[in-house]
Amino acid sequence: MAETIISLRGIKKHFSTKKGTVEALKGIDLDIKKGEIFGIIGLSGAGKSTLVRCINLLERPEEGQVVVNGTDLMKLSNEGLRQNRRSIGMIFQQFHLLMQRTALENVCFPLEIAKVPQAEARKRAEELLALVGLSDRLESYPSQLSGGQKQRVAIARALATSPQVLLCDEATSALDPNTTKEVLNLLKDINRNLGITVVIITHEMRVIQEICNRVAVLDGGVIAEVDTVEKVFRAPKSKMGRQLVFHESDENREALQGPIENSYRITFEGDMTNSPILGNMMLECQAAANILAANTRMIEGKVYGQMIIQLPEDAAKREQMLQYLKNMGLTVEEVAYV
Amino acid sequence: MFELVLQGFWESLYMTLISTVAAYLIGLPLGLILVATDADGVSPCKPVHTSLGIFINILRSIPFLLLMITVRPITKFTMGTTIGSPATIVPLVIAAAPFIARLVESSLKEVDRGVVEAAQSMGATPREIMLKVLFPEAKPSLLVGSAIAVTTILGYSASAGIVGGGGLGAIAINYGYYRNQTEYMLPMVAILVLMVQVFQEMGMRAVRIVDKRQ
Repeated sequence: MAETIISLRGIKKHFSTKKGTVEALKGIDLDIKKGEIFGIIGLSGAGKSTLVRCINLLERPEEGQVVVNGTDLMKLSNEGLRQNRRSIGMIFQQFHLLMQRTALENVCFPLEIAKVPQAEARKRAEELLALVGLSDRLESYPSQLSGGQKQRVAIARALATSPQVLLCDEATSALDPNTTKEVLNLLKDINRNLGITVVIITHEMRVIQEICNRVAVLDGGVIAEVDTVEKVFRAPKSKMGRQLVFHESDENREALQGPIENSYRITFEGDMTNSPILGNMMLECQAAANILAANTRMIEGKVYGQMIIQLPEDAAKREQMLQYLKNMGLTVEEVAYV
Repeated sequence: MFELVLQGFWESLYMTLISTVAAYLIGLPLGLILVATDADGVSPCKPVHTSLGIFINILRSIPFLLLMITVRPITKFTMGTTIGSPATIVPLVIAAAPFIARLVESSLKEVDRGVVEAAQSMGATPREIMLKVLFPEAKPSLLVGSAIAVTTILGYSASAGIVGGGGLGAIAINYGYYRNQTEYMLPMVAILVLMVQVFQEMGMRAVRIVDKRQ
């Protein structure tokens, strides 16, 4: 695929709090390719926000290398870093617009900083606000805009200096589902039409599912796994990945009373979700299977399903059933918990 | 009496306004420095922040009347005299500037940290963040602060009457207190009360016009 645009190596960052030192990032290696939409998902406290802030050095890691667009940001002077930040746009959960400036003036702000002549800046800001669909709200103040509109202004502002990368820190977490979808579609368009690499931090799986090409699962300051969204959704390799993909929350596990035996996760895709495989298996093998959990989801237009079933204790029957499933082309793996 | 009151009113008014302007010329930059050099500021510098903070606290802890007496040599040197309204401006500025620095500091600190972060992510310099983000975003709060400052300075100026200051306070003290002429005391107090009301109301109206958050 395309060349790497963001390369993180051995990123470590800790914070000192009253309760002691918190290691937010414990050595992160990550490569993000040019033109992709890359998701970073994790629970709150996993270090996602810190990680994305390390990409433009809003947080400076104690150790490690941050290379964006071929430049090692850690080695830059303050002025050099400021220049470089203009090619890395960023949007935030709470939008962070200037409340005393109109939408137009907000988009002009980064251009003022980049010393773009006023008339030119205004023209560009108008174009960008048209791009995000807010041509009719140029003179509105943020307080007069809805959440989705504010985030659109923030996106226009982040794009003002024609960045190569757009960092999104929980950009849709403060928005309702419909608005989230609109903003995600806008990000998708921007990625496709302007070729901007988008990095999305989120705790919502549906955001990843909706627009990302690849995803990194962050767990306790380390990357649990990185892969295409399709692969992570089909067969998450890490515990956190499974928890996020299959909603294996702690409560669910407790409800099923801890470890389970003779249980298997079967994952299937596409047309298979339409055929009664499990029913056929039970008829064929003359034994019952207990369905512990099941769900299906749509990723990039394809249907994926997963199911956790408990098979009989009789080893021969179990083997026969597993063989049947494998013959049907399903992925089967033994699981110790739901 | 009417002429006396009018004179007192003008003296109090110009003492207060000139002192406020002069005190802001000093206090505003001091407030900016306090915020900028704070640990989470745009250019943290602990020695500057701490020493400036202590300096401001010392000035603020001296009661105004004592400060006025203490700084008499400075007053004499700059104004040529230590009595009358123009001379009162000097201690008023010295007393009000650190107070204003703290008001400005608290206004600037109200600005959402995230907005500053956003500006940093765009490559803004500390100076640009101070002048283009913190200052304009804090404008409504700064105006509220200025209404507090001007009314406080008016109060200081009135109490300056007891040690040779001019204005309404001096008239109230000299006639109303020393000569026990209540008919002088009450109008002065009434005018002072009215002035505070007017300044405060003007400040709040200005805030409503300026603030774009509602």
